Amino acid sequence: MPEPVLEVVDVRKRFGPNVALAGVSLAVEPGELFGLLGPNGAGKTTLISILSGLTNADGGGVRLFGERFDRSRRDLRRLVGIGTQDLSIYPDLTARENLAFFGKLYGLSGNTLESRVDETLAAVGLTERANDRAGTFSGGMKRRLNLAAAVVHGPKLLFLDEPTTGVDPQSRNHIFRHVKALNAAGMTVVYTSHYMEEVQALCKRIAILDGGTLRACDTLPNLLNTLDRRVRFRFAAPVAGFENHLTELPGAIKVTATESGFDVTTDSIPELLPRVMALAAERGATIAAIEPREPTLERVFLHLTGRELRD
Amino acid sequence: MPILTLAAKDLRLLLRDARSAVILFVTPLVLILVLGLALGEGFGEKPDERLRISVVNLDRGLTTKQAFPEKPWSDVVIDDLSATQDIRLEVIPTREEAERLVARGSRAAVLVFEPDFSERMNRTSFLTHDTPPPINPLGRDGVRMGDLGLQLIADKTQPVSAAVIEQVTQVTLLRVVIPWMIGRAFERVGDDAFMAMVAERLMAVKPVPPQVLQELDPVVQKLLAALMKDAEFAALMLKEVGFQDSLVIGKRGPEFQRVVQKAFQNPKMMARVGKEIAFGEVLTPAVRREVGPKVQDGVADLFSNYNFKAKTWADLVKSQSREANTASRTEYRDTSGSGFLNRGAVRYQVLVPSYTVMFAFFLVLSVGWLFVAERKHGTLARLRAAPLTRGQILIGKLLPCLVVSLAQGFFLLAAGYVIFGMTWGTRPDLLVPVVICTSAAAVGLAVFVASIARTETQVAVYGTLLVLVLGGVSGSLMPRDLMPEQMKSASLVTPHAWSLDAYAQLLANPNPDVGLIATACGVLIAFGAVFTLLAWWRMDLE
Repeated sequence: MPEPVLEVVDVRKRFGPNVALAGVSLAVEPGELFGLLGPNGAGKTTLISILSGLTNADGGGVRLFGERFDRSRRDLRRLVGIGTQDLSIYPDLTARENLAFFGKLYGLSGNTLESRVDETLAAVGLTERANDRAGTFSGGMKRRLNLAAAVVHGPKLLFLDEPTTGVDPQSRNHIFRHVKALNAAGMTVVYTSHYMEEVQALCKRIAILDGGTLRACDTLPNLLNTLDRRVRFRFAAPVAGFENHLTELPGAIKVTATESGFDVTTDSIPELLPRVMALAAERGATIAAIEPREPTLERVFLHLTGRELRD
Repeated sequence: MPILTLAAKDLRLLLRDARSAVILFVTPLVLILVLGLALGEGFGEKPDERLRISVVNLDRGLTTKQAFPEKPWSDVVIDDLSATQDIRLEVIPTREEAERLVARGSRAAVLVFEPDFSERMNRTSFLTHDTPPPINPLGRDGVRMGDLGLQLIADKTQPVSAAVIEQVTQVTLLRVVIPWMIGRAFERVGDDAFMAMVAERLMAVKPVPPQVLQELDPVVQKLLAALMKDAEFAALMLKEVGFQDSLVIGKRGPEFQRVVQKAFQNPKMMARVGKEIAFGEVLTPAVRREVGPKVQDGVADLFSNYNFKAKTWADLVKSQSREANTASRTEYRDTSGSGFLNRGAVRYQVLVPSYTVMFAFFLVLSVGWLFVAERKHGTLARLRAAPLTRGQILIGKLLPCLVVSLAQGFFLLAAGYVIFGMTWGTRPDLLVPVVICTSAAAVGLAVFVASIARTETQVAVYGTLLVLVLGGVSGSLMPRDLMPEQMKSASLVTPHAWSLDAYAQLLANPNPDVGLIATACGVLIAFGAVFTLLAWWRMDLE
């Protein structure tokens, strides 16, 4: 096993009487695109702030690239990039000036700086607007520039905190593509969002945070596998004894009667469906509706926290 | 290096911030211009309640030396003016300058002594005829100045002030002209020409009135009695008329005297015998020589409170003469300056440093907004995440503010010189440390305010309030010289006051006190350091 790029052990943080993080532990492997999912107020931004050196934890420990990390470790901060939840660019500087400034802060200079700025502008699709002031950009372009500012110095570990908040679909796709490209190029990415579709689409491993507590942290299939697969069958009219026949079908693990039909729990919905259809034809039952229910992150979250993600 | 990167970025942002440019560079210029025009040219000059009389002296003086005056008559007049209570005399070098000053209303009136003033003054006399021809300068309203070669250039828009100056001049001229004319006239009383003129007039009195001859009787009697007793007369008689007749006359002398007396006492006889005699014949040249001075003495005795022989007013009225007050006499100094406004630079010697100091501290707003903007745009978080120390971030922000403040200070002083025509004093080199130290104090205060304020509104409220209150307390809004001493001392709790004192030394004092300037600079640096330390302690970058 390679040494984790990021290791979080029992990190705690309070803001007055409010507990933001109640002992979070997780690890991110090199080259991973790691998702941090949670509703607003779950503690994602606080955790990212600690991990990127913006603030110190009250307790616990963080290790970056195998070394103990806190705000005093400027050498390690140099290896990290952060795409903040709120925009953090200068509206009165041009896109190029913004990137050049942040690049210089991380020690880039001369031709290296120039080429990095050009590459990054191209990667986020802002080359044509490079010399326009950021204040004149649309919301999506500002988001892309914000992401570019986080990666212009070529960090090894990138934290992206809700990078698609308030952006149009075009910019969102741009950001997705760029994040995937960065990860493909070897950059480790920690991606936080409260949009499960984004995390589900991008991340291989996902941590679910709620109320300052880590509820789960695993690969997507493993998380989904924590939930069963069900199909709901609605019948035009009740059929006597049909529940017993269903229970005897291969692949049907559990059958539960509902108001107008049955819920069948199975290992494989595609294998179960033709068997149920054949049984219905044989017994003269008319199926009015079939509702397959695959496990989703939404359901995983509901399962873990007892509430909807967007509550 | 990161500090310079931060500084360059903030400097770029400040330069692109039109709001700051207006506040720091344009507003003070406009205020200086408007206040300069509103307060007038005299603003900033030391208050002097005395009436200013301005003169141009073109007088050539007297061509020949004489006992009085020993100097040109114009100097006599100027001495009298400058010795007058509550008057200060200003000497303007040329008529053209005087005309320019009057034309633009800087002077209500200017007296011009023409080149022939002394020569004309010398000819003033009560005489009708003389050589050279006399000048009678006295008229209904006093002295006719034009007759003396004295011109009053007056501003018609300031008639009252001009009239006051004219009346003061009239009084002085009367004090100078009247004694001179009286003295010269009195010299003539009883002199040969005067007595000859009297005799000539008396010659017209013919026949001599009998009473005159009758009144001569006692004299005639005394003469006859003395003659009769005189041995030489007896010898003369003996020689001229012979022994016998001389004995007869000698014995009958008393009888002859009585006869003569009776004849003199007879008016008809006197009228008859005096028929061919003119009264003026009595006033022979010898008599006139004797009588003339006695006439003068008699007049002098009659008016003994005055000395008619005097040539000055003090001598005429027999009082102690006044010393010319040279302290109240000044040479005209062109204070309009070299700026293209060319409208009285003295006021700008006060206004420019005042507003340079006050607006240096308006940096509070720009710096405050810079910090607030960094928070508002979220970039402060990115700076904190970057491999920078807190000190690097703060110094990176201080540097461009200091650069802007220095640029502002030097810009306003340069504008003061170029536009308003102020001078940089005798030690312009020392303006550099004063500008630098003032900027250091201003930047310190600005960063301190930025460490307290969290929003643009807070910056505007705290900053404006602080700048205006400190400006008022320190004397930036008015000349510090006009402040009560207690307030002046109390104002030293502000950095503005120290800066203003240093500027006052450099811009208003021809011999600036370098020690005082060094002290002020030290205090300003201390202010800057304390404010910066407070900001360091108070600044929350999270």
